[in-house]
Amino acid sequence: MPTSGPNNKPEDLIARLSSSDGEAKLKSLRELKNQIIGNRTKKLSYVKLGAVPAVVSILALAVESGDSSASSVIIQSAAIIGSFACGIDAGVRAVLDSGSFSILVRLISHSNNKVVDAGARSLKIIYQSKLAPKYDFFQKENMESLLSLLNSEIENVTGLGASIITHSCQTSAEQKILCEAGVLKKFQKLLQGSQNQRDASLESLATIIKNNPVVISEFVEADNRQYLRAVIELINDRYYRTRLLACMCLTAIWNTSPSCLQDVGLGTKLIMILLELLDDPGQVGDDAPFALASLIAEKEDMQKLAFEMDAVDKLCSQLRKTPLQAKRIQGIFLALAELCSKLEFCRSRLLYLQVLELVTDAFAHDSSEVRIAACICLKSVSRSVKSLSAGLFMNEMILVPLIKLLNDYSCSVQVAALGAISNIVVDFAARRPTFVQCGVVKQLVHLSTSMDSTVRVNAVWALRNLVFLADGGSKEGIFLELTTSTLLSLICDSESPVQEQALGFVRNLVDGCVESIDYVFTEDGVILHAIGRQLRRASKTEGMYVLSNVASGTELHKEAVLHQLLPSASSGAQSFLLKFLQSDDSRLRTAAVWSVVNLTFPCSPGAYARVVKLRNAGIYSQVKHMVNDSSLDVKLRARTALGQSMTFGDSST
Amino acid sequence: MPVRVSESSVPSQISGSSSGQSSPPACTLLSVGQAFSGTQNVSSVQNNEAWRVNVRIQGCDLDHGYLCGTMEALNVPMADTPVVTFWEGEIVDTKNYTFFTGKWDATPEDDIRHWTKFQSFSPLMNQAKVDGGKSLDLSNYPYIFMRWKEQYFVNVGTDCGLTIAGFYYVCFSCADGSINGFYYDPNSSPFQKLELKSTNEGRSGFSFSSYELQ
Repeated sequence: MPTSGPNNKPEDLIARLSSSDGEAKLKSLRELKNQIIGNRTKKLSYVKLGAVPAVVSILALAVESGDSSASSVIIQSAAIIGSFACGIDAGVRAVLDSGSFSILVRLISHSNNKVVDAGARSLKIIYQSKLAPKYDFFQKENMESLLSLLNSEIENVTGLGASIITHSCQTSAEQKILCEAGVLKKFQKLLQGSQNQRDASLESLATIIKNNPVVISEFVEADNRQYLRAVIELINDRYYRTRLLACMCLTAIWNTSPSCLQDVGLGTKLIMILLELLDDPGQVGDDAPFALASLIAEKEDMQKLAFEMDAVDKLCSQLRKTPLQAKRIQGIFLALAELCSKLEFCRSRLLYLQVLELVTDAFAHDSSEVRIAACICLKSVSRSVKSLSAGLFMNEMILVPLIKLLNDYSCSVQVAALGAISNIVVDFAARRPTFVQCGVVKQLVHLSTSMDSTVRVNAVWALRNLVFLADGGSKEGIFLELTTSTLLSLICDSESPVQEQALGFVRNLVDGCVESIDYVFTEDGVILHAIGRQLRRASKTEGMYVLSNVASGTELHKEAVLHQLLPSASSGAQSFLLKFLQSDDSRLRTAAVWSVVNLTFPCSPGAYARVVKLRNAGIYSQVKHMVNDSSLDVKLRARTALGQSMTFGDSST
Repeated sequence: MPVRVSESSVPSQISGSSSGQSSPPACTLLSVGQAFSGTQNVSSVQNNEAWRVNVRIQGCDLDHGYLCGTMEALNVPMADTPVVTFWEGEIVDTKNYTFFTGKWDATPEDDIRHWTKFQSFSPLMNQAKVDGGKSLDLSNYPYIFMRWKEQYFVNVGTDCGLTIAGFYYVCFSCADGSINGFYYDPNSSPFQKLELKSTNEGRSGFSFSSYELQ
């Protein structure tokens, strides 16, 4: 077995790089290049030993010398820098910190084409990293340089131009200026070039047209739609990568301007090709599920088409293959999540294929992206009321690892887990007490006080769903854990979505048995007062339903609600009930008129007195107008309210 | 006492085939969490029997004309405990579903025979006979017609000696939340009547809870 002699140590190799003997230096550079190519461990250890600045200073000296014999050193050192920047963030950082970027840029205008090629290749690799600096397209000279890159005869130089666009073009203003500079035309030409040029052009093209109907229209109409046709043809290219990129380009159009495509069968073709590409064992297969997810996102018709083409089965069978790259697992979960987001038969199929276990296994995956994707997938599958009603998700196999994620170090994982939990706790199978007893409420309450408002809103959302139709014991446990003061601060949270979920929570809390209403009367009714204050500030349907639900209780409850709705004239506060009855939002009008119905419910002793008070406040004149409301629900409730008032023989309302 | 809306309101015809058909009314009394109780008459020639029935709405997706929930039969002779089933409903919104069932062994004649048992169906009958009601706009009609099909037993096994082979023709009144239905199963006694009323669980008024799936 060969062993490392003293001269093969990385430190020694770095020392030999500074040899004054040109041949020895070149030999050392080649050796370094060969050692690090494709070897992450070696790259990292050389980065730690300071190899990057050493190579960059060799490159700088060689460029400064202007000596034609230095070309070999330039080419080798540029290649090494590119290699360090390939695939590892620490390498990219070291390369950028070393100041090599500007030297590499200078190489593009070198007289020796091989030097140009080496420089362009390394820069292209740097631009494939998220850490690369953003290119400013709005500077005239930058745009000119970019166009000259795209006009080059050297493949790596045009590739560099495309990579710069893919990396840096993010806003619609950038898309527009690139389009106006004629970049689309350049790509049209490059599509006829080598495979690398085609792929780079397709990737950049997708970046330029994404979410931009104006640029899409320019692209689609260009050259009498020949350009578009060329891209459509590429979905059948012999190279998998090209097929994938062409599909991604067309998906970008489909997602923004579907009517531009005018090809009825194209959706089916795209799904079919992306499903075939899942079988590729390499990067194409890793990227394909992401492309599929994007193609079917929010589109029920496409999801149905994908289902009919066995997408659920194909994705699930991919998931069973081991070992899988983290990225591929993430993509498959996201594609499954999209498939199951709207259609019940997709969810049923996924459950039938028994892959839930794989989803829950992924909750413990090393990669946080995989954990997030698994939660999103479960969230989507658990949108099935049929399965929720059967209690399919309320079991240890799912709950134990899912609840653990509430302690994840990543906020994004916590949010994703809360999303799935929010759905699962809508439990019709009466297994909620088990869930409440397992300590999860404590965690949800803890997260509802998070500094991160997304975590907060999702935690309150889960609590709101948890308390929906909950039994008395569960409600008590949840309320004791949450405490009046926390609930109060959530109702008055700085973020409106948190307030809305908190009000939804109270609405559910006071539903069910009449005793539940007492929760809002604890501590001198601070919660009820807080809701009243919130309602005076803004229109909130959930808050109005809280008052309406409370008004369906005892005399005491009804009087307290009336007091909130019609504050005494001396307080100076205005009645928001009248405002809500006149709201443009029919849901709010409905909630408001329900409160009138409940306050004057027949047989309650104080109903008549409340009818009088409401009439004096001008409520009934408004309700009278509402018997012809555009919303049938509002109209019917208004008639009920009027009918009830008339049972007191008081037709003057 | 709630006031009934006059039953003379006649649904409008949709003009032109391309016009968008709006969903049936979103009725709070038919929203998730709402409970109903009443009876199902299971009388046959031999005996006169009615089971007490409780219904709870669990899911509602008006865009897809979908409603679901549970049905609990309380005094079922051959069962020791109340029998709970999960059902899924098709709302006759003339967009997702028409008055014609087109499955579950129900012919258009069976459909019309059952729907005509509801008084509120009479203004719709002529059109429903022609095209299942496709050209009707029911979005402001104060009654919602549905088919409820039980899908599985929640708390007993399939060997409980009961069948859920049939389905219900259902008519819901938006005004007072009352539900009338007829069970249809060619192998069971015909026209078993389901009668339910909105319940308020001991409250003097109506209470509404809600959940939101993410």
